[in-house]
Amino acid sequence: MSIVIAQQKKPFIRFDPQKCCFCKICEFVCAKYHYGKYGASISRITIVRRGIKTLKYFICTRCEKKFCIKACPTKALSYINGNIVVDEKLCNSCGKCIEACPFHGIKLHPETKKPIICDTCNGEFQCIKSCPKNALTLVWLSG
Amino acid sequence: MKYFGYKGKILMINLTTKKTSILEITDEFARKYLGGNGFSARLLFDMIDPRIDAFDPTNVISIMTGPFQGIYIPTSGKYHVASKSPLTNGFFDSISGGHMGAQIKYAGYDGILITGRAEKPIYIFIDDDKIEFRSAERLWGRLTSETQEMIKEEIGDPTISVSAIGPAGENLVRYACIITEYRAAGRGGLGAVMGSKRLKAIAVRGSGTNEVADPEGLENWLKWYNEESKKVPGISSILPTYGTPSLVSSINNIFGAMGTRNHQTEYFEGWEGICGETLKKKYWDKDMACPACPIACSKIFSVKEGKWKGAISEGPDYETLYSFGSMCGISDGGAIIKADSLCDEYGMDTVSCGVTISFLMECYEKGLIDKNFTGGIELKFGNDDAVIDLIEKTAKRIGIGDLIAEGSLRAARIIGKGSERFAIQVKGLEIPGHSARALRGMALGYAVASRGGSHHDPRPTGEYAGASDRKAVEGKAAWVIGTMQFTTIGDSMIICHFLERLLGFTLNPKYVEMINIVTGFNYKFEELVEVAERILDLERAFNVRTGIRRKDDTLPRRFLEEPIPEGPSKGMYTDEQTLNKMLDDFYTLKGWDKRTGIPTKEKLIKIGLEDVAKELEKL
Repeated sequence: MSIVIAQQKKPFIRFDPQKCCFCKICEFVCAKYHYGKYGASISRITIVRRGIKTLKYFICTRCEKKFCIKACPTKALSYINGNIVVDEKLCNSCGKCIEACPFHGIKLHPETKKPIICDTCNGEFQCIKSCPKNALTLVWLSG
Repeated sequence: MKYFGYKGKILMINLTTKKTSILEITDEFARKYLGGNGFSARLLFDMIDPRIDAFDPTNVISIMTGPFQGIYIPTSGKYHVASKSPLTNGFFDSISGGHMGAQIKYAGYDGILITGRAEKPIYIFIDDDKIEFRSAERLWGRLTSETQEMIKEEIGDPTISVSAIGPAGENLVRYACIITEYRAAGRGGLGAVMGSKRLKAIAVRGSGTNEVADPEGLENWLKWYNEESKKVPGISSILPTYGTPSLVSSINNIFGAMGTRNHQTEYFEGWEGICGETLKKKYWDKDMACPACPIACSKIFSVKEGKWKGAISEGPDYETLYSFGSMCGISDGGAIIKADSLCDEYGMDTVSCGVTISFLMECYEKGLIDKNFTGGIELKFGNDDAVIDLIEKTAKRIGIGDLIAEGSLRAARIIGKGSERFAIQVKGLEIPGHSARALRGMALGYAVASRGGSHHDPRPTGEYAGASDRKAVEGKAAWVIGTMQFTTIGDSMIICHFLERLLGFTLNPKYVEMINIVTGFNYKFEELVEVAERILDLERAFNVRTGIRRKDDTLPRRFLEEPIPEGPSKGMYTDEQTLNKMLDDFYTLKGWDKRTGIPTKEKLIKIGLEDVAKELEKL
């Protein structure tokens, strides 16, 4: 008898700092998709420029260690189908998940004070689709 | 507010008293002045005593957004700065790329008005509704990039936006600029006004949002943009690939219109060293963009070998390849990358700096000034070492740099000996790389523009493209008015003028559609034209109060008397009689008095500026 375990896949948004031109269109469309308005504080992806040409991106990487889930004192975070999901009823807005995330992939929504985390736009990946330089690409990792 | 794209608030800051207050923006005001350029034109007309020196503490710096900041519409990643200019003494505004506009909006303001003078160097940190005055003593003397980095470190947040001046602004170089990231509110010396207020920088962090009136309309508009922009090579391939340096080969070779060696000619034989293809091949590292811009015309260039190895800059753009390249007779792209980087870091306008050095080079070669005057510098065209040396000296006002820091008009007045005829400026502002002799519209446009020698009042693009015959005199005034109406509305919305290739070179209903989607004004085209005229005439009224009249609406004598000596535009120029004819046409169409160049009472009343008419009657 053999057991076949379906290999679970998780999405990873890869960033090419050479291609990124710091237009931040990904931030705009991320905010727009989720909230119908624009704002850097409500974008789940953040692009930062340091010096003349160093570019970095910050977004949930769906990392192995799930620092955020471990850090949450109220068990409001869980990992479901490749996304970190927030149970807003359980969340007490303490911000521990934000402190714990080494990728700076979580923000507190400035009004609801609940964590906002990349959810792939329900598989639509608005940031990837809208990037004019193809600096963001989707890869599927196991796990 | 019932309209979208606005916060209804302008933050007012007095640096002398360190007091802040809020100026409410009404629906009516927003509809009447739109934003950016329009808000500044109205507010500065009301706030600034036109007789003051630009460095007087009561001068006001207006940092504005339009309804388009902080939303996603291509090219809206900009902000606007205005003040009374130390270079022209008139109303002056400059648009810069950078996330600052969005941050101001997200912090809850449509703009910031700054007056007074701090006792000691400071910077302002605006964190939503919390405003802090912080010491900038350890930042004073620092370059613009390190200033921004140090402020981000101090605040502990790399996502904030910082707009800073460099040593040039501190030393009141009359064309010092304000740098955000590596983009500049470049022209007219707005950075020197900041320096005169001992204001090193403004840092802003906004946690708020912005939204549009008609999201569905915007979706459709973006679809239209994505399709239509593909058909416009400038936007879809040339600017993304080469940036504005792509203009060098066409303007120089096809039009013969690239001012060379202080406009002694307009064909640069050394163009190959500084053209778009060469820059891309030899120096290109990567593309950069202003926020919300898919075009990404900005390029990081670095020098890999040779004399200027190690130099790196965001840019140079076309105007810098003109001012430090063809104008100074320099065909080594590496030297210009170095010059561009130094100007950004010291915080100086590359156009005015390069053109002023070019002017002095002609004075030197003609024997009007000698080595005693230059401090031992062999100031000949093509001497790139001298140019690089002089940039730092200018920013620090050392030796002859102290004179260069005054700009070409003031330098000419000091040198005398008839040099003013070839000081390449209008109203004190150095003319950029779009020929007043090869493009008839630019001859008239530079002469009448509020800012003087600016290619963002009238636009050259439509004449290059053949949308208006570049040699024609008939009909040119109407064309120029149309381009100025477009630029002033573009600067009020605020979007980049490069969209003109897609939306049209003169104001037209496509702009109305965009504004209505964002704001919900439901403007008709006629109302938008009136808004444009209101803003333009307010700028003129500001300048009229500083003494500007028809006699000032002119060009350097060289352009009125010396035809282009060679190349594709050989023989072209606009003589005084032709300029006067175009001026008559222009004033007539504008409703300005033909004799004085002052907007008539009837015109001002027609565009809802009765109070301005009354002010002008007092003169």
